[in-house]
Amino acid sequence: MSEIVPIQADKPATPKRLRLWSDWIALIPFFLFGIGFEIIPILLVLSSSMKSEEPWFLFANYQRAMAPLLARSFLNSIKLSAATASLGVLLGGFVGYAIYSSKNKIIRNITIALADVATNFGGAPLAFAFIITLGSTGIVTLVLSRYFGISLYPTFRIYSIAGLVLAYLYFQMPLMVLLIQPPLHGLRREWREAAINLGASNFQYWFRIALPILAPALIGGFLLLFANSFGAYATAWTLTGPDINLVTVQIAALVRGEVQLDPGTADAMATISLLIMAVCVAGYQWTHSRAQRWQR
Amino acid sequence: MKGSSFWRFLLIAFFLLYLLVPLIATTAFSFANRWDRSILPEGLTLDWWRAVTERRAFGAALKNTLSLSLATMTLSILLVTPTAYWVHLRVPKAKPFVEVLTILPFGIPGVVLALALIRTYARFGGHIIYSPFMLVLACMVISLPFVYRPIVSALNSVDIRALTEAAQTLGAGWFTILRRVIVPNIMPGILSGGLLVFSLVFVEFTLANLLVGPRFKTFPIYLVEFTRFDGRQASALAVMSFIIAWLTSLGLIWVAGRVGGDREEAIGAR
Repeated sequence: MSEIVPIQADKPATPKRLRLWSDWIALIPFFLFGIGFEIIPILLVLSSSMKSEEPWFLFANYQRAMAPLLARSFLNSIKLSAATASLGVLLGGFVGYAIYSSKNKIIRNITIALADVATNFGGAPLAFAFIITLGSTGIVTLVLSRYFGISLYPTFRIYSIAGLVLAYLYFQMPLMVLLIQPPLHGLRREWREAAINLGASNFQYWFRIALPILAPALIGGFLLLFANSFGAYATAWTLTGPDINLVTVQIAALVRGEVQLDPGTADAMATISLLIMAVCVAGYQWTHSRAQRWQR
Repeated sequence: MKGSSFWRFLLIAFFLLYLLVPLIATTAFSFANRWDRSILPEGLTLDWWRAVTERRAFGAALKNTLSLSLATMTLSILLVTPTAYWVHLRVPKAKPFVEVLTILPFGIPGVVLALALIRTYARFGGHIIYSPFMLVLACMVISLPFVYRPIVSALNSVDIRALTEAAQTLGAGWFTILRRVIVPNIMPGILSGGLLVFSLVFVEFTLANLLVGPRFKTFPIYLVEFTRFDGRQASALAVMSFIIAWLTSLGLIWVAGRVGGDREEAIGAR
């Protein structure tokens, strides 16, 4: 933080207090935008989630949102997010370490650039690419059955939760690869040397020193990946349509008016989603600030 | 050590295959004649590309998406740049509030944002909430984190205070300072923010689908429609999305490479 030096301190024309107020005036457009398109809309969803035909009971909409079909959508979304986040952290962590420790600079640069592009892929084009790759007549499906005698279908279907996991990993894994790079660079060579000199094995170094230092980054990565997957809609919609019962798919159906339900139900589902997302994003911010302690 | 380099090779090869095979397969599919009974396509053709680009709806969707992306990009930059500069220079106390507003969109799923905007603005009539104009505003919300961060790090990398004071001493007004001194110095940040927003909005489906839907068909909506009835032409559309994503990424890498040079210039100017 740099200290605040009033630029025109020697000009007593405007009193300091007044100048401070006029400084805030320049921020009005931004705050109007933020309040008008973030704060008020969210508050309206929160408040209308509490309103229903039964004014004496604040949580009537929530009760409806927990009807078996909708409760299952939460369960599915949480399972899907947990699966893609843990697989993403695990695979992305190992791949990220392999890239970090690779001695070939060209390989490092190419893989990181590729991860950068892939993590922003998603939605319809990605879903469609997976149908072409792993659909019932997809290229990988054909290669596996022709050369390896493995027939994926009908046990596996790309239009299923398992297919969604594979498609989501396409952006989850590269995201973790990118997230883990700064913490890995924060691991100092001296720590490893000191540990080895004191007689630690490689295994001991990893489990007693490196992993505890990387832990905040790994937990934070999990939370960010979880949120990333929980809020996703376009990929799931293109790949599986309304067949897979996910929270975002249900809310979208309610918004489009395809399902005749009390509008309050959508608000209650949205509120619960916002809470889950808030926990993830806040948790990520917290672990991120902890992880940075070790980075130069 | 032999073993560990073997594992490293295996992991990186797996990663590259995972990321590249779907792209290569889709590209090949869009040029393939017939490809459902053999490993390799039976012949190459440009028919699918020709068929899909010749439709009038294709031109309209492309035009809609380009104007949406460019409008969102321009408006976001115009909103965020002066704000970030002013907060950095004059009102550091406002920083936490501005940051919360720019991080918040990360925590709002697209479907929830669409729902929340409908709850807020539907009362003013369908022509307001279900309009391309509202879609631009909604896209600006999801763009905030992507524009704000690069601009702030660009602001941190030059001595904004010294530049401002020097310009003031020479008698420049606020608008001139911002346009002639600050913006050129933080251009890499503005460019990378702009490119990120462009590629983000170009593939944005959720908000476009829920807020305007078929009334203002964007490229991703058009693509999803095609996946349901013609896979060949859809694959050509998907490849176009990939190309846009790759081009913006190359642009980002190019901008990042220029940051160093610009920083030196700024130091020289100081």
